Amino acid sequence: MGQGRGPVWLLVPAVLLLLAFFVYPLAGILLTSVTEPAPGIGNFHRFFATGVYLKVFWRTVQVAFIVTALCLIVGYPVAYFLVHAGERARRLLLFAILAPFWTSVLIRSYTWVVLLGREGVVNRALQETGITSGPIQMLYTAPAVYLAMVQILLPITILTCYGVMVEIDRGLVRAARVLGASPVRAFARVFFPLSLPGVTTGAIITFILAMGFFITPALLGGRREMMLANLIEFEVNQTTNWGFASAIALILLAATAAIVLPFQALSKAPNPYRKA
Amino acid sequence: MRGTIIGRRALIGAALLAAAAGTATAQTTITVNGSGGTLAEAIKRVYETPFTQETGIRVRATAPVSLPKLKAMVQTGNMEWDVTELSGDFYPTVVKEGWVTKIDWSQIDPEKKLPDFARGEYGLMHSSFTEGLAVRTDKFKDGKFPSSWAEFWDVKAFPGPRSLRDTPRGNLEFALLADGVTKDKLYEVLATDAGVDRAFRKLDQIKPHVLKWWKSGAEHVQLLSEGEVFAASAYNGRLAQMKSEQKLPVDIVWNGAALRSNYMVIPKGAKHVKEAHLYLKVTYMDPKKNAELVKEMPYPGFLPGIYDHLTPDVAKTLPTHPDNLAQTFRLSDDFWAANREKMQARWNTWILQ
Repeated sequence: MGQGRGPVWLLVPAVLLLLAFFVYPLAGILLTSVTEPAPGIGNFHRFFATGVYLKVFWRTVQVAFIVTALCLIVGYPVAYFLVHAGERARRLLLFAILAPFWTSVLIRSYTWVVLLGREGVVNRALQETGITSGPIQMLYTAPAVYLAMVQILLPITILTCYGVMVEIDRGLVRAARVLGASPVRAFARVFFPLSLPGVTTGAIITFILAMGFFITPALLGGRREMMLANLIEFEVNQTTNWGFASAIALILLAATAAIVLPFQALSKAPNPYRKA
Repeated sequence: MRGTIIGRRALIGAALLAAAAGTATAQTTITVNGSGGTLAEAIKRVYETPFTQETGIRVRATAPVSLPKLKAMVQTGNMEWDVTELSGDFYPTVVKEGWVTKIDWSQIDPEKKLPDFARGEYGLMHSSFTEGLAVRTDKFKDGKFPSSWAEFWDVKAFPGPRSLRDTPRGNLEFALLADGVTKDKLYEVLATDAGVDRAFRKLDQIKPHVLKWWKSGAEHVQLLSEGEVFAASAYNGRLAQMKSEQKLPVDIVWNGAALRSNYMVIPKGAKHVKEAHLYLKVTYMDPKKNAELVKEMPYPGFLPGIYDHLTPDVAKTLPTHPDNLAQTFRLSDDFWAANREKMQARWNTWILQ
């Protein structure tokens, strides 16, 4: 890196935007949560003292974890393949990954409704090929929500993993092979550890997004699949209990930060093997 | 030279001011907020354009009806709406919170043509609709489908996934009806704790068979039209549309349906309160206009004389037709105003278990 700080003033517009449209509203929400309907921390107490809300909280965390794990399991190999693929295959695959990314989350969630419905494409295919005799209930179940969330978040996981993997010096893996390691060993002892910090970042981003998901559980889930964002929406729109809604929003923010920060430390581990 | 320029400027300025002032008084525009959608076209044709023709006041239609938006506008002191539609569900809330202006009935209905229950202190009850049992007739064998709430609850005789609205309001009553309580005793039973427990116990029975708890009209239409559920609670207007436009094999069951109503209210801080009253008078005290709109959407008001302008075919589909009225029960806004929070809290816990 060069010496000195560089033109810091270039950051000023971004910082101003952040202050005006993020910090200021956040302060407003904080204020609302401790003043509406009565001053004090009543809203927070209500959230943690009621079993029902805690259930939604833990379910949100659970869903976010499972979805992130699934995204990694599916996405890591895809990113690995992308790194080692030929030019044409890579471009094709990148396009295939990015194209659905350009469609809105609402549309993508809604197409799952069409696909998974009782009279939808999947059920009809299953029945016509004789695999099942009657329609399977797929919509408004937890698996439907997981499936759709993974499909929506996968491009993000793949691209962040890919971005990191591409930086890894493949010469190192070759060196390991030359020194006698089997392909599996070379991957496990050299490539994989090097990819971890970046993969952790990808996982963190996926997790944060998953925690805040609203449309997918609303469209595809039953009552049991309700997540914190849905609860916030209910309190804003139906009961106009804005103090409580603000409290839930802050709890969501704090919980996400609390879970993510330890992992964030992991991804910053010093890496002596990176390409100079 | 200078004198002339200043003089000319002053003249132009004065002329502009006069024009602006003239425009303001000649062209008042009120903002009427509604649900939008396909009905908005009919409302414009039947209500809004004639109003402008008769009074010279322009109407700007906005959508949708949003309770949080109303709250936000009241709190910031920036009220965009002069009149808005409001669900009966929320009427007690807006009255309690002070988000609406009192109605001066002498300006709208001095001859007391509307029945008393439609003349709210803070709103005009302008339309009624039913939330009742709806079935996909093709999903049940031998053409026998549930025709009462008791039969809706009977999953052995009429198997299949169901849907109900995600609210205690209405569902508690349906549960009691299914459990054998008669229409006239409903609120007597619900007034007691034992009665409420009974309703929730009955709901426990149907819960495993409810696939999805719907929140909006669009949702239950989609569930029924795509065959995701075989029976559901639904709004009569939506069902009528499904039958006539989409030609779907659905049937409304009037037996045991809940008669609900909507209001037109004048929000607090509305800029044209007098014109808003005039709009309500010209629009909702005219039986011919109301009958005309009812032909598009079967949500009649309570003004006497609407049926004089309707053919028997159309009249039969309306919730306030005597034949249908006999089978429905009126959802008690008073009961729900008093008990909403308690029931909603219990419902929230119950539904997440």
